[in-house]
Amino acid sequence: MISEIANIQFLHPSVFYILGGLLIPFLKGRVKQGYMLFVSLLAFFAVVNLPYGTFGAYEFLSWKLTFLEVDKLSKVFAYIFTIMGVIGVIYSIHVKNDGEHFSAFYYVGGSLGVIFAGDFLTLFLFWEMMAFSSVFLIWFRKSKSSLDSGFRYLLWHVAGGLILLAGIMLQYSVSGDLSVQYLPFHGWWPTDLQSLASFLIVIGFIVNAAVPPFGAWLPDAYPAATVTGAVFMSAFTTKTAVYALIRVCAGSEMLIVLGVVMAIYGVVYAVLENDARRLLAYHIISQVGYMVAGVGLGTPMAINGVVAHAFCHILYKSLLFMGTGSVLYVTGTAKLTELGGLYKTMPRTMIYTVIGGLSISAFPLFSGFVSKSMTVTAFGEAHLTWAFMALMLASAGTFLHTGLKVPYFIWFGKDQGLKAKEPPWNMELAMGIGALFCIGLGIFYKPLYALLPHAVHFEPYTAYHTWETLQVLLFTQLGFFLLLKKLWCEDTISLDTDWFPRKGAKAFMWITKPLAKIEYKFVGEIYEFIIQKPIMGTAKVFKIIDTVVVDGAMNGLGKLTLAWSRKIQNAQSGQIQHYAMYMVAGFIALIIVIMVLP
Amino acid sequence: MKLLDLIQFLSTKTVKKIAYSVLVLLIAVDFIIPRHEIHFFGDKIPGFWSLFGFIACVLIIIVSKWIGHMGLMKDENYYDK
Repeated sequence: MISEIANIQFLHPSVFYILGGLLIPFLKGRVKQGYMLFVSLLAFFAVVNLPYGTFGAYEFLSWKLTFLEVDKLSKVFAYIFTIMGVIGVIYSIHVKNDGEHFSAFYYVGGSLGVIFAGDFLTLFLFWEMMAFSSVFLIWFRKSKSSLDSGFRYLLWHVAGGLILLAGIMLQYSVSGDLSVQYLPFHGWWPTDLQSLASFLIVIGFIVNAAVPPFGAWLPDAYPAATVTGAVFMSAFTTKTAVYALIRVCAGSEMLIVLGVVMAIYGVVYAVLENDARRLLAYHIISQVGYMVAGVGLGTPMAINGVVAHAFCHILYKSLLFMGTGSVLYVTGTAKLTELGGLYKTMPRTMIYTVIGGLSISAFPLFSGFVSKSMTVTAFGEAHLTWAFMALMLASAGTFLHTGLKVPYFIWFGKDQGLKAKEPPWNMELAMGIGALFCIGLGIFYKPLYALLPHAVHFEPYTAYHTWETLQVLLFTQLGFFLLLKKLWCEDTISLDTDWFPRKGAKAFMWITKPLAKIEYKFVGEIYEFIIQKPIMGTAKVFKIIDTVVVDGAMNGLGKLTLAWSRKIQNAQSGQIQHYAMYMVAGFIALIIVIMVLP
Repeated sequence: MKLLDLIQFLSTKTVKKIAYSVLVLLIAVDFIIPRHEIHFFGDKIPGFWSLFGFIACVLIIIVSKWIGHMGLMKDENYYDK
C-alpha cells in the first residue's frame, strides 16, 4: 500500500485515525491537542478529495478484500462521520486520559472502515473494531456500574457480531461471493438458505441499530460512558448499522414494522426516564426507528430521507449529549430529580441544548425539519397511513421530552441550589459548532440534499407542511405545561429487554451452584478413583526412569520455560478488560500489517 | 447579564398570553392555508394537526406512566439485589 500512496492523491480516511491514533500516547499538552485536531481535520479533507470508485483490493488467502469502495452513499456517511470526528475531538480535547482519545480514534476509524468496506470480511473486521474500541469509552468512567455496563455492552455486540459472521459465512457458502451487495430479506422468517443468510445478516445489523428486543444495550451503556465518550458513541454505532442496512437490506418489509415500533418504544421509555443521558439514549432508539422504517420502505425518497436524517441526527444528538454531558461534568449528576434551576449559572449551555432539542423535534428552521419530514412524507406518499400517523405521534413525543422535559427539569423546574458554571471553553466551542450546523442545515439544506444518494424531489418548506408541523409541536407544548405535574420525574430505572439476560444469568448461576457441588463431589471422586490413581501409579514408575535419564537434559529447558512463563504470567491478569485490550492490540497490528504490506 | 434577562422575560405572564394567542392563530390560519399534499382524510380537516398534537402528548404521558407503574419502573438498585 505504501507504494500506492506514492502514486495516488488520496488515502483511506480511516488510515488517519488508525495510524494517527498510535502517536497520541507519545505527545503531550498543547502539541497533543493540536495534533489530534489536525489528524481529525485531515481525515475530513481526505473524504472531500475521495473520488468515486473501488480501490485498495487485496488478495488474502483465497478471498478478495476490498478496503475502499466509494459511491455517493458511503461518501455522505463519511462526510458526517469525519465532521463528527472533528467536533468530538474538540469537545474532548481537555481530557487527560490518553486511552480515551485512543479508543475514540479507533472507534471513528472503525466506523469509516465499515462504510468503505467492499466485502463482508472487511466490514466485519471494522465492525468488531468499533465494538472493542468503544467499550473502553464506557470502562474509562472507572466506576463499578460502568464496568458492568461495559461487559454487558460487549456481550451484546459479540453476540450480534457472531450472528452477522454466521450470515456472512452462509452467504459465502451459498453464493461464493463475499462482496457487500444488495441482499434484501422478505417476510418474517427465512425459507431457504439464501434467505437465511440475509436474515442472519439483518439480525447482526439490527443488534447494532438497537432495534428492540436487541436494543437494550444502548440505554444501558451510553449513560454509563464517560462525558466525552457518550458524545462519540451517540454518533457512530447505530448510524453505521443504518448505513449497512441501506446498503444490504433496503426494502425489507420487516424493517418498517420494527422501525415504527422502535420510534414509539423510545418515546414511551423516555417518559419514565430520570437520567437525562439515558432519556437521550432512548431517543436515539426512537430516531433510529425513523431511519430503520425508512430503510424498510426503501423508495428513493425514503432512502434520501434516511440518509439526510442520519446526517442531521448525528449533529443534533451529539449536541444534546454534549449539553447534558456538560451538566454532568460540572455538577456531577445527570439525574433530573437532582437537577433544576441551572439557567442562572449555565445559560449558554442551555441555549445550545435547546437548539439540539428543537432540531431533533423537527422545528421549522432547524435541521431535523428538513430531514425527518422527508422520511415521514415518503410514508404519506406510499399511503402507509398507520406508519405515517405513528411516526407523527413519535414526533410529538420527541418534542415533549428532548425539547421540553430535558431543558425544563435541568435549567428550570425546582431550583436545587447546585453550584455550577459554564463548562471549559473547548466543550463550549464544540457545542457552538454543533449548534451552528443544526441551524445552518435547517436553513441552507440544498447542499445536504445534493449529497444524498438519489436525486431529491422534495421541498420541506411548503406552507401546509410547515403549518402542520407547527400545529403538532406547539400543541404538544400546551399539553406539556398542562400535564407538568404528571410528568414530574421519579427516581427509578425502567426494566427493558435486558431483564431477561440479566436476571437469566442470575438464575443460571443459582441453578449451576448445586450442579457444581454435585460435579465436585461425585464426578470429582469417581474421576480420582478410576483415572487419577492408576495414572499416579504409572507415573511413579515413569518418574523413576525420568529422574535418572531425562532430567539432566531437560533441566535447562525447564528453567527457561519457567522464566518465560513468569514473564507471560504478568499478562494473564484474569481481567477480561485486559484480554479485550490485547485483542484490540492484535486487531490493530493486523490492520496495520495489511495497510503497510505491499 | 443580557442573556439572563431574556430568559427571565420569557417566563413572564405577557409571554404566556402571547403563546396562547399564537395557538389560536395556528388553528385560525389552518382554515385558509392552501393544501396540496393531501395524504389522507386528516389533511382535509382544519385544525386536525393541532388536535393530533395535543392528544398525542396527553396519550404519551398518561399511557407511558400507566405502563411504567404497572411494574416497569423499579428502584435504582433493582439489579444489585
